[in-house]
Amino acid sequence: MARNRTYNKKNILVVVSVVILAAIALTGRLGYLMIAKSEDYAARAKQLHERERAIKAERGSIYDRNGVEIATNKPVCTISVIHSQITDPEQVIRVLSDLLGLSEERVRKRVEKVSSIERVKSNVDKEIADKIREYDLNGVMVDEDYKRYYPYGSLASKVIGFTGSDNQGIIGLEVKYEESLKGIDGTILTLTTAYGVEIPNAAEDRIEPQPGNDLHLSLDVNIQKYAEQAAKKVMQAKSADNVKLIVMNPQNGELYAMVNVPEFDLNNPYTLIDEIVKEHEGEQITSEKMNELLNGMWRNACISDTYEPGSAFKIVTATAALEEKVVELDDTFHCPGYKRVEDRIIRCHKAGGHGTQTFVEGIRNSCNPVFMEIGARVGVERMYYYFDKMGLFDKTGVDLPGEANSIMHKKDIIKAVELATMSFGQSFQITPLQLLVASSAAVNGGKLVTPHFGVEIKAPDGRTVKTLKYDTEEGAVSKETSDIMNELLESVISDGTGKRAYLPGFKIGGKTATSEKLPRRTGRYISSFIGFAPADNPQVMAIVLIDEPVGIYYGGTIAAPVVAELFDNILPYMGIEERYTEEELQKFNVGTFQVPNFVGKTKKEVKDLLKVYEFGEIYSPGEGETVMEQFPLPGETVEKESDLILYYN
Amino acid sequence: MSRTAGETNRKKMHSYYDYSLLFLTLFLVCFGLVMIYSTSSYNAQRVYGNATHYLERQALFGGAGILIMLLVSKIDYRLMITKLAVIKIKPVTLLYFLCIILQIYVLIFGDVINGAKRWINMGALGRFQPSELTKIAVIVFTAYIVNLAPRKLDRFRGFLRVVLFIAPLLGLIVIENFSTALVVGVIMVAICFVASKKKFYFIISGLLMAGIGSMLIFFVSYRSTRIDVWLNVETHEKGYQILQGLYAIASGGIFGKGLGESMQKLGFIPESHNDMIFSVICEELGLFGAVALILLFILLIWRIFIIAINAPDLFGGLIATGVLAHIATQVLINIAVVTNSIPSTGIPLPFISYGGSSVMVLLFEMGIVLSVSNQIKAER
Repeated sequence: MARNRTYNKKNILVVVSVVILAAIALTGRLGYLMIAKSEDYAARAKQLHERERAIKAERGSIYDRNGVEIATNKPVCTISVIHSQITDPEQVIRVLSDLLGLSEERVRKRVEKVSSIERVKSNVDKEIADKIREYDLNGVMVDEDYKRYYPYGSLASKVIGFTGSDNQGIIGLEVKYEESLKGIDGTILTLTTAYGVEIPNAAEDRIEPQPGNDLHLSLDVNIQKYAEQAAKKVMQAKSADNVKLIVMNPQNGELYAMVNVPEFDLNNPYTLIDEIVKEHEGEQITSEKMNELLNGMWRNACISDTYEPGSAFKIVTATAALEEKVVELDDTFHCPGYKRVEDRIIRCHKAGGHGTQTFVEGIRNSCNPVFMEIGARVGVERMYYYFDKMGLFDKTGVDLPGEANSIMHKKDIIKAVELATMSFGQSFQITPLQLLVASSAAVNGGKLVTPHFGVEIKAPDGRTVKTLKYDTEEGAVSKETSDIMNELLESVISDGTGKRAYLPGFKIGGKTATSEKLPRRTGRYISSFIGFAPADNPQVMAIVLIDEPVGIYYGGTIAAPVVAELFDNILPYMGIEERYTEEELQKFNVGTFQVPNFVGKTKKEVKDLLKVYEFGEIYSPGEGETVMEQFPLPGETVEKESDLILYYN
Repeated sequence: MSRTAGETNRKKMHSYYDYSLLFLTLFLVCFGLVMIYSTSSYNAQRVYGNATHYLERQALFGGAGILIMLLVSKIDYRLMITKLAVIKIKPVTLLYFLCIILQIYVLIFGDVINGAKRWINMGALGRFQPSELTKIAVIVFTAYIVNLAPRKLDRFRGFLRVVLFIAPLLGLIVIENFSTALVVGVIMVAICFVASKKKFYFIISGLLMAGIGSMLIFFVSYRSTRIDVWLNVETHEKGYQILQGLYAIASGGIFGKGLGESMQKLGFIPESHNDMIFSVICEELGLFGAVALILLFILLIWRIFIIAINAPDLFGGLIATGVLAHIATQVLINIAVVTNSIPSTGIPLPFISYGGSSVMVLLFEMGIVLSVSNQIKAER
């Protein structure tokens, strides 16, 4: 055995020294990395670990003019499972399948799948989600989210619009006011493993989302409801394709209601409504076709579709003629049932003609030859000047997306025939809203208003962020002409073609129209009526269009009553009081009286009393001979023709 | 005062046993277990559904290794160069040939993992890496050859003679595992270096080796890619693992994130319980912990050094030197790779990194060193 010599030991020392030197060098390198490079690398590492997850900002709500919520958010939850964190899979499966109403098999598949995170169900109601949360199951995640919710379902669906999967507006006001409503999304920074699994209880950096602002509308839920009710009724009664109805304040352009029946359910905007489904029964609906049908269903025809306005347009012609002073109210005209214009014979709607009549009677009769005559008196140049002043060449500027503009003849190609047809509302197209705005200028003292829904934008805390302002052009029509038009149009209702829109107690003005759809002679019509009240100081104006009614199609016959019914409901609601004329009081037996005391009276005595008082229906439940109780109570003031209930014992 | 000189001698001189080395070793193994649990629990849970999967296996091998170490430390290391009674062969020769056979076997029948054929499947015991065993063989066999004629090492021819003996082992390893061959080569050179009186040829042969080494590196494509990665770790697509390690080290800062708080071990560093474990130690325990660990290794090496210079004979001294070289090389290369100080190569951190063969072989070697220490006669 060789000896371990001194030089061997020295050599070992050399080796160890080399090792120690190398170790010191590496320690230096470590120090450099962990002190000098620490911040830089640590920040880069953090970037790898952090995942940014957006927290959706709550979208602003939409309120009607009385503060009724018509578009809001419903908290919904998404239930997910994290495979690696589940400790009791059987309980998880049992609880989830139980509470979510899913089959056990389906939940088991999700729970047992080895993945970072597996969604079990989304859009779960908050109450159910809360119950699940109470179980405090390991590995079950409950994420809260908001879903747009429309408490009134289909109410004003094409106006309000709906939102898509990212909560962005798709149509209607939801699109128009997207910027105000949407808010600013926040973020959560969470730590995740390399496989994207979030680390529970890790410190989170959180940037709170800023909720969107609320939109307050001029729309009135009640007026909208009344309007929809009336529109739906006439659509069914006349088997019409659709019915459009717009209600506006002619003084400032605030829209109270805009109806396009059939409406669709805003909470299920991708489900075709029954009407459309029925129409396409048995057809193979491709996704392309489906898109087309949905777009058709969502279309707001009141502003996006144009039509020939027909006789209702005579309001504009008459206004132009009065402004131009080419006609006096007592000017006489003769209608033989037609008018020859150049080489063409253009007929009046009344075959035999209206005979000799004044201008006022011409309007009441809606006589075409009269309007052809005054149209010719105004001339193309001036007619287009007034069209322009009454906003017929421009979009109305309503705060809704997708507004269409009018389709008019080029001025230089208009000859006498075109001018004649235009005078009674044919050979050009405008939107219903354009006609409503032009007509309101003719009766509101001459202002051209901008129709609108949006009134105010408020922060979630109620602070007003922005009061929306709209242009009003004064002097589009002179005050004098406007006053005359008021009277003329009131007489259309009281003595003319619009008498079916007559409502006792209210001064109503209006104009009927029946437009034959293109191509002509196919028997397809649009019956319409434009009305306003009170005629001497218009507070509300409405236009109704009944598209392709079956059977009687005269606007005066079927469209005027729709507005009458609507006004009957909404005028009292709006606080516009009945003012009966003497004539009306007698004719319609209106007035009030005090209810006498019936209690204790026998049937015979009651019968005598009822001869004196003017009750409506008498209800008398009970079998006995004497009155035990009565309603209304004795001494109360009631209107004539009120109902009376008498309880006999 | 009637005692004989012999009795006095026996009284004064007693068998030394380096307990500090023993405890240092035990501490490192236990620390390794803690860090293996910390680094592997997430991946073990993810893959096996059992957070302690790797810990259990490593504890099993560590425990067995400690028993072997204690056993070996009580056997006189010189037994290895004593002819066995029946077969008339020295155990060291037996080990030498066993290693050659296993190395050939693994090249033909070995399991391929991550594209390298290095493992022999042992069924329930897992996989065994014969190149680890070869490290022991090289240490003992080199020491044995040198010890036969230490003066020959003074000349280059003597060194070549040693190289010739070791060449079969080295050659068989280098085919599949360059980094282990590097460690084995360093061990061999270190032993020869210690035994030789003249150093000049070491400088020449060192230069020669460096030349051949760089040839090997630049002409074998995957190794030259490693150089590229090393130089452009932040931008090179294959630098991912090293860069993640650097992120871990750097984000540890001075005091670390705390035990168990590493983020990078959560899948960002692939197999963070293996060769990259030091980066997670840095992240969790900071510069403080990392330096403490390096100091522990230095202390371990220092104890082996003390044993090596006090060894009763050259053979013992050379064995201790071999073990010292083995541990030192692996520690230095591992840390250098993790800190991107040298191009990446897969070398585990002794006692700490996950790996059954590795820890058992290291503990066996520590057993031999302890056995050497046990033969030192010290005065009380």
